Amino acid sequence: MFPDQILQFLLSGLTIGSIYALIALGFTIIYNTTGIINFAQGEFVMLGGMFMVGCTRLLHLPLPVGMLVTIMAVMLVGALIERLAIKPARNKSIVTLIIITIGVSIALKAAVAFFSKDSFTYPPFPGPEHVSIGNASLPGQSLWIMGTAGCIMAALWLFFHFTIRGKAMRACAINREAANIVGIDVEKMSLLSFGLSALIGAIAGIVVTPTTQMAWYRGTELGMKGFCAVILGGLGSSPGAVIGGLLLGLLETFGNYLFSGYRDAIAFSIFLLVIFIRPQGILRRK
Amino acid sequence: MKKLFTTLVAAAVCLLFCAGAVQAKEAAVPVKIGCLFDLQGPAGHIGTPSKLVAEMLAERLNKAGGINGRPIQLVMGDTESNPGKAVIEAKRLVENEQVDAIIGPTRTDSGMAIINYIEKMGIPTVGCIGGTPVVVPVRKWMFKSPQKSVTAVERICQYLQKKAIKKIAVITATDKFGQEGEEALKALTGKYGITIVAQEKFEVSDVDMTVQLTKIKSTDAQALVCWTIGPPGSLVAKNVKQLGFTIPLIQCHGLPDPKYLELAGDAAEGNIMPATKLMVASQLPDSDPQKKLLLEYTNLYENVGKIGKITTHGGYAWDALMLVTDAMKKAGTDKEKVRDAIEKTKGYVGVSGIYNMTPEDHCGLGVDSMVMITVKGGKFTLLE
Repeated sequence: MFPDQILQFLLSGLTIGSIYALIALGFTIIYNTTGIINFAQGEFVMLGGMFMVGCTRLLHLPLPVGMLVTIMAVMLVGALIERLAIKPARNKSIVTLIIITIGVSIALKAAVAFFSKDSFTYPPFPGPEHVSIGNASLPGQSLWIMGTAGCIMAALWLFFHFTIRGKAMRACAINREAANIVGIDVEKMSLLSFGLSALIGAIAGIVVTPTTQMAWYRGTELGMKGFCAVILGGLGSSPGAVIGGLLLGLLETFGNYLFSGYRDAIAFSIFLLVIFIRPQGILRRK
Repeated sequence: MKKLFTTLVAAAVCLLFCAGAVQAKEAAVPVKIGCLFDLQGPAGHIGTPSKLVAEMLAERLNKAGGINGRPIQLVMGDTESNPGKAVIEAKRLVENEQVDAIIGPTRTDSGMAIINYIEKMGIPTVGCIGGTPVVVPVRKWMFKSPQKSVTAVERICQYLQKKAIKKIAVITATDKFGQEGEEALKALTGKYGITIVAQEKFEVSDVDMTVQLTKIKSTDAQALVCWTIGPPGSLVAKNVKQLGFTIPLIQCHGLPDPKYLELAGDAAEGNIMPATKLMVASQLPDSDPQKKLLLEYTNLYENVGKIGKITTHGGYAWDALMLVTDAMKKAGTDKEKVRDAIEKTKGYVGVSGIYNMTPEDHCGLGVDSMVMITVKGGKFTLLE
């Protein structure tokens, strides 16, 4: 492995890793506020990409307008899921709720496949087509992906630490009953968490589609990788989700150098290893 | 007397009705042809146009008198990109619908799944399957309309030999289709004096192939051959462009369709691939025996049927149905005779090539059925 190759792998790995990190954050937000692992998280990413395809390719909306419409639409989907599928079953066991999210995921995929079974993409965002760093090269869109991921992470941190809503959501994460007792509307927080996760998913879908393309079935794969990142970083930890995502991207990429064609196998082997050896994740103490 | 008269009249009327019914039945007995297409699932984009093309062709044939006066009735079975479902649907078509022949399925794994059943029941079947294993080794009842993978590999090798390229790098998908391409490349390149200097793989769900391609870039390969279908092919093209490759990228015959150009965008520019003549129909010399049919088919597909932009997949369904109905026109609907007639097909000018079936070759398309094309200015251009 030459030094310039290492740099190439590092950049490729970080790009894919930041997507995983965003999806992992989406999982974490819902898990922390409601205790549910939302297996429809990947579908938010898929919907983000597919709605954006519709906005740019069918409606010919300018990029910023298209993004806004897409984000609103996906957030609406997220909110509807919470109100129509999760809330009515709120007093059922967590396992039931998790299974409901799997059902939602299947329904969303079928709904998109009903319109088109094809893969789509749209032109990358404004900027250089390729960026060369030393001997390594990456598409300009990768900068958008990493930049957006960084901004979202910063914005989330500010939201959770400096706004009353964010603090209320954190309170739900620490102890839902106590939060309820001190007057935090837990149901509203649950709705908010789905909306916020949908928002992050939608943005991830929007920035990633120009490089990876999007099709109705892609969300599940991305969701599973995001879930691996969550487990790797430690379920419920936001910094863990970010680090887990980036680490998974890097491990996959470098692993692919050694065993070409086994990207998924590498990711899920890591997942199993973590589950067996350190189920609390790398960042959490027992 | 009156009673006898009434009885006689009644009997006569009955007789007339019966005769009428028999006659009507004779004329209306349709020839049932089962269609196994993936209308749902990842291969839905292949199965859906295949179904539309088959329906369009059946309607056309029926207008022209059907099969010796009997109309063709297509019975659809949705295989849902699922080999298990393919078997269930095949059984339904054969046992409940009593079809006379089957066209499809569209996927190699579905084809392999139904093959034993087809052989046991003795149903003449022409698959629209890209993969070679359904007809190698030759089965009695199974035929296929698309070229074999080895044919496309051979076409690429001929091209490389002509360009004096001796060292190639290979990147293939880990699915059945990619594996088959990999094996064929390994087996055939030696014959043409070509060595594979680097060999990499990727999963069809991968979104980034830069790692494998970076490894390939550091070798002295003179060309890169990629073997996969669908979206990953365009991702390889994009990564190749991103990494600034100077050697040509050669894609397999599964990619030349408008979707590839759409997904790969600029990165498709200069890509070389073997293809059926369909994609470059208007650029063929007028002397080409397929040209007239190809232009007509393109017109039917895009303007009359409004199925969408032309792709290679629909053409396989067209050829499969034509092979079956041509055989039935000659031999009737006795299954054994239909099978023999399909096997004796000689010189049928189809969308995907000119078919010459033999007892040893149940595909019937040779290397000459493929042309090499390249992407120039966002369009497929005939290379040789």
